[in-house]
Amino acid sequence: MRASRSPYRLCVTLAALCALSFEALAQQTPVAATSPAGSGGASNPALAGQKPKGPAPRLPNGKPDLSGVWVGGGPVGNIKDGLLPGQEIVLLPEAEKLMKGRMAADDPEARCLPTGVPRVAPYPWRVLQTPSYGEPTHLFFLFEGNIHSYRQIFMDGRAHPDDLEPTWYGHSIGHWEGDTLVIETVGFNDRFWFDFVGHPHSTQLKTIERYTRKDAATLENVITIIDPGAYAKPFTVKFNATLRPGWDLMEYICNENNQDVEHIRGPAGL
Amino acid sequence: MKIRMNSLLACVPLVAAAPAFAHHSFAAEYDAAKPVTLTGTVTKVEWTNPHARFYINVKNDDGTTTNWNFELASPNYLKRAGWSSASLKQGDVVTVEGSLARSGANMANARAVTLADGHKVFARAATDNGG
Repeated sequence: MRASRSPYRLCVTLAALCALSFEALAQQTPVAATSPAGSGGASNPALAGQKPKGPAPRLPNGKPDLSGVWVGGGPVGNIKDGLLPGQEIVLLPEAEKLMKGRMAADDPEARCLPTGVPRVAPYPWRVLQTPSYGEPTHLFFLFEGNIHSYRQIFMDGRAHPDDLEPTWYGHSIGHWEGDTLVIETVGFNDRFWFDFVGHPHSTQLKTIERYTRKDAATLENVITIIDPGAYAKPFTVKFNATLRPGWDLMEYICNENNQDVEHIRGPAGL
Repeated sequence: MKIRMNSLLACVPLVAAAPAFAHHSFAAEYDAAKPVTLTGTVTKVEWTNPHARFYINVKNDDGTTTNWNFELASPNYLKRAGWSSASLKQGDVVTVEGSLARSGANMANARAVTLADGHKVFARAATDNGG
């Protein structure tokens, strides 16, 4: 129990940090105001429909400001949908066999387990930088769902350790290349799926995500999948996230009443 | 049992959009080719994740009663769309349109919920963003 409680304590801390960051964001981009009293943190109806216009806002250090609440930015139904021109997905025979045998009810996401990388759930997520001033040492992606969780991206120049145990979100290190945030992640387990149709991966997976805030409302994510354990060659996909001005993250405890799994039928590729 | 089968055609746009908006594949759990419309009395509302649910008692033609389980979007989606846990109450008489579960259980995904006075609650709740 001790081990399972600690992430929640971290979440509480993050929520407090998040509130501070949100205040800073609200000062920079007035459209992202806090929620009205009594809304349960759902959203500010007066602002929720407004899409901010203009270029990406910038932090005092000149870097693009990626903070805010976003929806999208990765595969949901089929990672193939994001393939860039000229790119193709070539599964190794073992991986192809694994994918063809997958049943929809075994999708970890349907069972309230994490999406891993680069899959996203159709729920909002917030980008949070710490410290909120100067050069960041950490970025956090706070997920409302599919499980209430987070990704931690180290921005302090460290390398991947050589003794990583496989995990759902892996070990992420980030750096800026011009106006693009580049996140390299290794150390994944092989349990999550890339999408509803069950694209697999191995523990050799390495992802390189390139986040560019194309304008105030759009965060582009170009992802290269490198996994010699499941794919014959790397491939690159692109997905956009869109800003949800006026939205706050809300509580979402997926396994509170998950009745879906026992009623899901058929292969994952349905 | 008062079940009216709707035309498949009317469901196509909703179904096409559905798979991207839930934590599970819509098509794997519900059969869009089996739309259903039921009228009954609300017995329970569950404001829970990953989906809000409500249950209604439906009178069958033979005089017996069947309790049906309807899946909605997530509470967060419903809240952001302006609904709340009080939008539907025990005792309300509602007509629900939805798609039947593939499992064959007395269960469906609710697409539209209409109160006896014609007022709509949770309209399009199960197929929009955040389901």
